[in-house]
Amino acid sequence: MPIKLSKIIPKALFTTPKIPSVAVVGLMVVEYVILSNVIAPEPKCTLNVERPHYSTYLKETRNIDAIKLNITSECNVPQDYTEVESSIRKLENGQQVVVYAPGLERRESSKSDPKKAEFRDLFALCRLGKSMSYVGSARGLVYLKGGGTIPVKDDSGIFRAANCGIGAQ
Amino acid sequence: MILEYSEQQIVGLVHNRSVSYFEQCLTFGDRLLQEERRALYKYLLESNKDFYKVQAKTLLAEGKVSRTIANGQAIYSVKNSQVTYSAYGLQSEIFSIDVRQIRLSKFRLLNEIRLRKFFAQGDIDIIRNFPLPSRYPREENGFGISVYPFYTLAYYANGKNYLKGIIKKLKTNDKEILTKLRTL
Repeated sequence: MPIKLSKIIPKALFTTPKIPSVAVVGLMVVEYVILSNVIAPEPKCTLNVERPHYSTYLKETRNIDAIKLNITSECNVPQDYTEVESSIRKLENGQQVVVYAPGLERRESSKSDPKKAEFRDLFALCRLGKSMSYVGSARGLVYLKGGGTIPVKDDSGIFRAANCGIGAQ
Repeated sequence: MILEYSEQQIVGLVHNRSVSYFEQCLTFGDRLLQEERRALYKYLLESNKDFYKVQAKTLLAEGKVSRTIANGQAIYSVKNSQVTYSAYGLQSEIFSIDVRQIRLSKFRLLNEIRLRKFFAQGDIDIIRNFPLPSRYPREENGFGISVYPFYTLAYYANGKNYLKGIIKKLKTNDKEILTKLRTL
């Protein structure tokens, strides 16, 4: 003969919640806060220094011969601005010589992409026809929106030749 | 010389073939060499001396003054003995709040001299970021400046060895560009 479940388990157990609904909602909020803090990405930024190159843009628009250094900082969170000290070095008789060092430059993040700051106005005059090998490097700090800074650095890798000499006679 | 241009004048500048070197510089923006920016600073400081003096007096008396140059505007304000300026593009959504600051002293004459340099540096920042329209399309980036202003030794020393900065300042020669700015 089958035994009724209600006879084994008291009825009140099915109808009365053991944890009040307010407490359940509260626990869910706490869980959300903890999880969102744990899951929120740790701010990370990278610097990308492109190889110094002869600028056809400056030739076309200003009729000047120049070697240009493009630098971009990019984060996984919005940034206020980036400050970098950059340089272009050339290879001369096996020695590395700094031929361009514009000093500390600041660039705010772009309105269209607040995670990125682009330096596009770093360049030095050069003499066309004088082949030289260059490398670009930069180091600095990214200032994040809402506070905090992240140090960044990069270089353009190996020396690469360009058919224009900075400081060439 | 007060360097303010109406929209009509801007159009005139773009289409006028015999524009001066200075007027060309107003269109270069991020295509200005650092040497050109430095020479422009010196040029503005000497050619706008009287104008900057009036601006400084107005700022100290009223606490606020604005200035339009190239395609941008700088708004200077005094708060707690500190002068700051914010930059706005006239035909752009780019702006920057409290770009630079200087502290005022108790001496009025010293303040006027320092403010003249501050205004000239502000003008250079505006010219660099908000150039007059030219036939070459320009990609808009965020607002950019050289952190150390031209009127400080820190610029020549890049914030490090000030003795080296003095030597570098003495060695710096902008005569060629300055002559171009004054004559062409």
